[in-house]
Amino acid sequence: MRQRDDWHLTDVLEYEHGRGDPFAAAVRATRMPMVITDPAQPDNPIVFCNVAFQRLTGYDREEIIGRNCRFLQGPDTDPAKIAEIREAVRDGHAVDVDLLNYRKDGTTFWNALYLSPVRDADGVVRFFFASQFDVTERVEAQNIINDQKLLVEREVERRTADLRAALEAKTLLLHEVDHRVKNNLTMIGSLLRLQVRTIDDPSIAAKLDSMLERVDALAVVHRQLYQSSDIARFDIGSFAENLISDVVGSSGRGDIDLDIKAQPLFVDAANASALGLILNEILTNAVKHAFADGRSGSLSLLVEGEEDHGIIKICDDGPGMPSSQRSRSIGTSLITRLARQANAEATWRDAKPGTCVTITFPKTEMRS
Amino acid sequence: MTRTMDVLVVEDEMLLAMDIEAMIEDSGHRVLAEAASLQDVQALPDDLNPQLAFVDLHLAHNSTGFEVCSYIRQHWPDTLIIFVTANVSKIPADFSGAHGVIAKPFSHAGVVNAIKYLADGAFDPPPSIPRPASLVASPHLKTRWG
Repeated sequence: MRQRDDWHLTDVLEYEHGRGDPFAAAVRATRMPMVITDPAQPDNPIVFCNVAFQRLTGYDREEIIGRNCRFLQGPDTDPAKIAEIREAVRDGHAVDVDLLNYRKDGTTFWNALYLSPVRDADGVVRFFFASQFDVTERVEAQNIINDQKLLVEREVERRTADLRAALEAKTLLLHEVDHRVKNNLTMIGSLLRLQVRTIDDPSIAAKLDSMLERVDALAVVHRQLYQSSDIARFDIGSFAENLISDVVGSSGRGDIDLDIKAQPLFVDAANASALGLILNEILTNAVKHAFADGRSGSLSLLVEGEEDHGIIKICDDGPGMPSSQRSRSIGTSLITRLARQANAEATWRDAKPGTCVTITFPKTEMRS
Repeated sequence: MTRTMDVLVVEDEMLLAMDIEAMIEDSGHRVLAEAASLQDVQALPDDLNPQLAFVDLHLAHNSTGFEVCSYIRQHWPDTLIIFVTANVSKIPADFSGAHGVIAKPFSHAGVVNAIKYLADGAFDPPPSIPRPASLVASPHLKTRWG
């Protein structure tokens, strides 16, 4: 028998004389609760119910036959689901809903209802066939899961809100501290500059100028750090390039040729100040000593990154400095000790003519 | 040789104002007036014609650098306006019509080089020297000087 001829099965199932029919016998005996309704009669009453249906609902056969299915509904039955069924009956199509139904004793159960029309040869709906299934356990388990999920979600939401508020407070505090650091650094620089202008003794003024340059170098490091999107890393390559241009540019020495071969090179932000100060010492020393007394020349900067370390090389073509004199200056001792702090190494080489200083330091991991 | 610029300094922190003025004068330019607030700027005579204005964002009497910027643009449309601030992130993408920003904390070299660059461009645009990293140019400056 072909699938589209299925309805003949129920055609044979005449409710008045179905007793001898093997299909009717099967429907009567199955564990699946089933009813058949007759839409031709007023209010579409139940004309057949099997034993399983009686067992499920607690009603006897006599109490069931002749009534519309809605007698199983109660105050907590979802009206939207009822409307869905009503619509399916009206339009003559199948419907599949989970419905809260009431037994004779008033207890409830979740009914997985499947309702489908049975048509005759002319396509007229002759019966509705409805199978039920008690899915109380499944629905209740699902409800428990949903309730728990809701609880967990609410808890997560609450804690996330707490964390977000804490983070906002911290961020605000950090910005405030950062702002104060910026303002104080700016003021320290301004105070020193204003003081330098009042000093007549050139050697003291020069010392104060060196001090000012160091404060300025720290200010530039800080500025570059707070303007960067990544606060853990510091681009010492760009810093060196900007510093050499700034130092030579502001010295008013148009007679110093710059040869810059730089690239971005990232170091751990913790070492930014130390490396920034080292570069400042080397560059300002070169401008002051290699090109003293208006001597012109060239200054080169090379920034290179190897696998795990970076190299910054600064060379001048000045007269060079005797190593004995170099070791006495505060600049040299600053460089040596700050280098140790930053795990870096600074070496001087007599380039004949001039001096080359090479700083080798560890790079930070490139993060993806 | 660049000529002398007349510069307006709008800064409510007196120490910084003194310092910036000293750097302007050391660079061979003239400080036309100083102001600590929008109200101070509004009180300035209209026939003032500064070539350059350094403007802090946070000013006295609850006024802001943005208000000063729009006042300057109305009264002295040719003035180059450079914000000097620690709050660079508060500046909108169009700089509210200003021409650039110098971030605090600034260095002596950074400010002096910026003044040199701006003076070069103000009298003989576009500037013949490269823009120092301490000065971030706005879209307006880029269109003005190509």
